[in-house]
Amino acid sequence: MTAPARTRVRSAVALAALVALLGIALLAGVGLGAVSVSPGEILSAIGRALRGIEGPVSDAVIVDIRLPRVLLAALVGACLATAGVLYQALFRNPLADPYILGVSSGAGLGAIVMIVATSSSTVLRYFGVPIGAFVGALATIAVVVKVASWRGKLDSTSLLLAGVAISYALSALTSFIMVYARESMAAVVFWMMGGLTSASWTYVSVIAPMLLLGLAYPIMQTRSLNVVLLGDERASQLGVDVERFKRLILAAGSLLVAAAVSVSGLIGFVGLMTPHAVRLVLGPDHRLLLPASLLGGASVMILADLIARTVLAPVEIPVGIVTALAGGPVFLWLLLRDGRRS
Amino acid sequence: MSAQATRATDPAAAGLRFTGASVGYAGRPVVGSVDLEVARGRFVGLVGPNGAGKSTLLRAVTGSAEILGGEVLVAGVPLAGLTPRDRARLVAVVPQSPPVLFAFTAREFVAMGRHPHLGSLEQLSAADDVIVDRVMEQTDTARLGSALVDHLSGGDLQRLTLAQALAQQPELLLLDEPVSHLDLNHRLQVLDLVRDLADGGLAVLGVFHDLDLAARYSDTLAVVHDGGVGPHGRPEDVLTSGLVREVFGVRAVVSTDAVTGTVAVTPIMREATGAARDRGRVLVIGGSGSGARLMRRLVLDGYEVLAGALNHGDVDQSVARALGIEHVELPAFGEVEQSAEEQVAAAAAGCRAAIVAEVPFGRGNLGNLRAVVGAGVPLVLVGPFDAGRDYADGQAGELWQRALDDGALPVAEDDAAVRAVAAIVEGSARS
Repeated sequence: MTAPARTRVRSAVALAALVALLGIALLAGVGLGAVSVSPGEILSAIGRALRGIEGPVSDAVIVDIRLPRVLLAALVGACLATAGVLYQALFRNPLADPYILGVSSGAGLGAIVMIVATSSSTVLRYFGVPIGAFVGALATIAVVVKVASWRGKLDSTSLLLAGVAISYALSALTSFIMVYARESMAAVVFWMMGGLTSASWTYVSVIAPMLLLGLAYPIMQTRSLNVVLLGDERASQLGVDVERFKRLILAAGSLLVAAAVSVSGLIGFVGLMTPHAVRLVLGPDHRLLLPASLLGGASVMILADLIARTVLAPVEIPVGIVTALAGGPVFLWLLLRDGRRS
Repeated sequence: MSAQATRATDPAAAGLRFTGASVGYAGRPVVGSVDLEVARGRFVGLVGPNGAGKSTLLRAVTGSAEILGGEVLVAGVPLAGLTPRDRARLVAVVPQSPPVLFAFTAREFVAMGRHPHLGSLEQLSAADDVIVDRVMEQTDTARLGSALVDHLSGGDLQRLTLAQALAQQPELLLLDEPVSHLDLNHRLQVLDLVRDLADGGLAVLGVFHDLDLAARYSDTLAVVHDGGVGPHGRPEDVLTSGLVREVFGVRAVVSTDAVTGTVAVTPIMREATGAARDRGRVLVIGGSGSGARLMRRLVLDGYEVLAGALNHGDVDQSVARALGIEHVELPAFGEVEQSAEEQVAAAAAGCRAAIVAEVPFGRGNLGNLRAVVGAGVPLVLVGPFDAGRDYADGQAGELWQRALDDGALPVAEDDAAVRAVAAIVEGSARS
């Protein structure tokens, strides 16, 4: 078998394994909890719901509560992991992540502004919050890049420092708005704490189209993402219109972050850990890395949410705490390893 | 209008043509009024000091530096009208390879050269795989196939970068110091390959620091300095010791390599290092390369060096000329006759010391020895004098003995001679 053929078989096997993992995660996520449900019962409940047949009370738990929550977790994880892949490629930096770059905070601020501004109308809020989050994310990444490259070179340290600094500023603004708009405070706090507790089919219907839209350009450009890893100048020599490509990829990344933040608040480190783990196992080729991270991110998020719901049951801890507990050490490890290398 | 169509209608189009072009960064020109053509099938070498703008010329072609005036045509098409993708199908670059930080396999890395030929969702076809295999074969990188590029040596990476560029199947290949990380064998291998590709119709423009390699592989050499592209033409016409001195500030012997028949540049010393001190005049009697090291050492040490009579084309004569050392020039195979001998004796009389290098003496150059032995100047004699050095029926031996009797200092080799001269000069300064 030739080398390219071997690579194709390997990719197919890896993706099939990740799809299987996601399937298992979905069944575990829906099945485990205060009341456990077997995979068979889950599938028949979904079957009954699709055909509009009245079923036992447990159907409502599965179809109206567990299923949207698990799907939402999967979509949020997919968005964050994919955004992480895009930022890491563009900045050629394995430490880049929407949370660390401050993009999540920017999306959060945008979302909160819209929550406050649209307190009168549910419909306005439905459309307004994602748009606000998108604008916030896009503006933040623009500012972070501008600040980080102030002295000419966009290196790791300045990128991380700029991200942290701007995150702080955005958090302060967020707090200010919460205090200023007391009457919306309940809604804002509920959303910020959110995690995935307020999951609903409505949220699923918000994030799913945003994920598809945000994925459309990157999934067509996986080869360009590879080439960009060789540096901007080399990428241009190999035929990539680098400026245009960067703008579109940053926009796509911001859309994906906005999608996740709109429905689940600030959840960190999924966008950092997942692509990194996938890269360690499968290599840096985005033709495989991008879909694999998307699937992996979905599974990781479902499992993190499962832990958040069950570990202290009946008390539920925000899923962001679980991802931070797992992701913080990974981030430190990366930081120390990179520091030693340079 | 596609680039392909233009080429089809204009088969004579040059691979690359600068017409009155000015290139630079941020609106500021680095190199101006450039008129340079790289026809298909030609290999043009760019040489010049660091910072002269050689790389800037290349980067202007790849869109990384600005074209501030004039016109640059690639395969007959103005560069300004090409998208990065169109351009990458015509022009490939081998840059000075920066390290790759991500663990692609060598084959994946080379296959990236196919990028400009593939549509957004298109995967590498069997035909692309064949091209990738072939360029890896050509660049001797096939065995690296599944090695990870973030762990390879600079040399391997450089050859992989060339493979990547060749995978683009360009009309024009730009090389920026393409062999700087390579060992001697791979250096020649890579340049032989590029030469073959040029002979096969590729236009090649390469930046070189190594003047010998530039001269050996280029059809045309162009010198970049003082904000412009200076003389260009055949390497043997362009590369002269005067040009090397003017452009690089280095005194060098420019000769024809006996084996390859191409121009070879042997740097003797930097312009700036000479004439730092004035330690007095010293005469060197040499020939056939015996005096080259001595002359260079003495000039570096701050002596004003003169040489005896030297035949035109002799190694020592080339070195003396490169160093600006005054000497009596004889025709090739000419003998040191009466008048030359008198000139050498006069030169010796004005010196603090004279050195006779380890050179054999025959009828042709006996005059050199006779001139210094009778001149009354402190003499340093290098090497043993045995029958193997005397081709003048014993006359040289007699002169040698007379010099020793007069107090000449015999030393074993060049370094000892330089030390002896220093002692003589310092001793006479003190007394």
